[in-house]
Amino acid sequence: MNEHRWAEHAAAYALGSLDPGERAEFEQHLETCASCRAEVQSFHEVTGLLAQSVTPAAPPPALRQRVLRTARRVRPIPWLAAAAVVVALLGAYGYWRAESQKRAFQTALATAQAQLDSTQQVVAALLDSSVAITDLAATGKAPTMRLYWNRARNIVVVTAFDLPPAPAGRTYQLWAIEKGRAPVSVGTFNPPPNGRAVITLPMPAGVKPDLSAVTDEPAGGSPQPTQQPFLVGSWQRRT
Amino acid sequence: MAAGDERALGELYDRHGSTVYALARAIVGERADTEEVVADAFGQAWRTAGKFDPARGTVTAWLATITRTRALDLVRARGRRSKVLARAAQESDAGFATPLAASDAPDRDVERQEARQLVKQSLGELPEPQRRVIELAYFGGLSHSEIAAELKEPLGTVKTRLRAGMEKLRDALSPRISRVEP
Repeated sequence: MNEHRWAEHAAAYALGSLDPGERAEFEQHLETCASCRAEVQSFHEVTGLLAQSVTPAAPPPALRQRVLRTARRVRPIPWLAAAAVVVALLGAYGYWRAESQKRAFQTALATAQAQLDSTQQVVAALLDSSVAITDLAATGKAPTMRLYWNRARNIVVVTAFDLPPAPAGRTYQLWAIEKGRAPVSVGTFNPPPNGRAVITLPMPAGVKPDLSAVTDEPAGGSPQPTQQPFLVGSWQRRT
Repeated sequence: MAAGDERALGELYDRHGSTVYALARAIVGERADTEEVVADAFGQAWRTAGKFDPARGTVTAWLATITRTRALDLVRARGRRSKVLARAAQESDAGFATPLAASDAPDRDVERQEARQLVKQSLGELPEPQRRVIELAYFGGLSHSEIAAELKEPLGTVKTRLRAGMEKLRDALSPRISRVEP
């Protein structure tokens, strides 16, 4: 009989439904065949789970004492064996909990890693000798945004300190403005309710802005500003 | 027996007692016999705990096997047929697991509830002939040829169904089965 034929017995063996002759033969084979043993074991776990298919029934409370009494009579057990059972049962029982926790941790870890990556990118963009900085403020008010323009990589890190989210259906749009030319859109953004945001946007190629400004635009942004900017900053002083 | 040992057994019982009880009850039916099976099963588990190897299977599977064996032995010793077989004689369809209602005990253990859901669903999704042979083997303790006689089906058919059904179950339950490398 080849290996494949033997493996056919595994499910029935785990269920205990092999006829006696077959069972004896198969048990002999199992002694020397690790892959059949693994098959049997996986089907054995299926039979263990089948116990869960019966309607749950609560044992009478007195049964617990009886079990302990019977066991006491059965034998005094070496503490090591007892410990093994506890370890094993905790292991088996904790397995699924551990598995779901593991998945939750993995998700959390991936999120944290993504946050870390993005933070590192921001830091790398900021720590460069080519970085120019400008503050954006509404007239007569404290700055609510600061821009870091990494000219070597031509990216702009936008930080907002105290900028409420745009109204529903609207978005903020950042513009790069060169004197004598039409404003060029750098990108749109919308801070979370706490008003704080750090966003990295690419500076459009070839644009050397003198000013940056923020307007409030319909969601999705506009090709050209449709409103007067409410935040303006100049690059000239610093670049 | 040292106090610590007994605590370990108590813990084993508290974790698995209701599963063992429900399984024993599904097989032997009668309450006094069920309790005897449960006490015997835990006694045997206790006696052989030193041989239990966590690397080779879960406690659940180990206890279920002991319980089933004890329950089927008792049924045979009583010269009776398993409760499932008695039912099987009357009911031709609709799995045995569900109608074997004892007093319903809401299970507070969410994971076990989930496992129960999955097992029931997986069993329910099996073609009826496959589920039937598995239930006759599992709850009735019947061998291939006994099942064939019971169902008046060819032996080969029974073997094929049982194996196909078990393979489907193993697939369906695979998220709950820890694999061991051969």
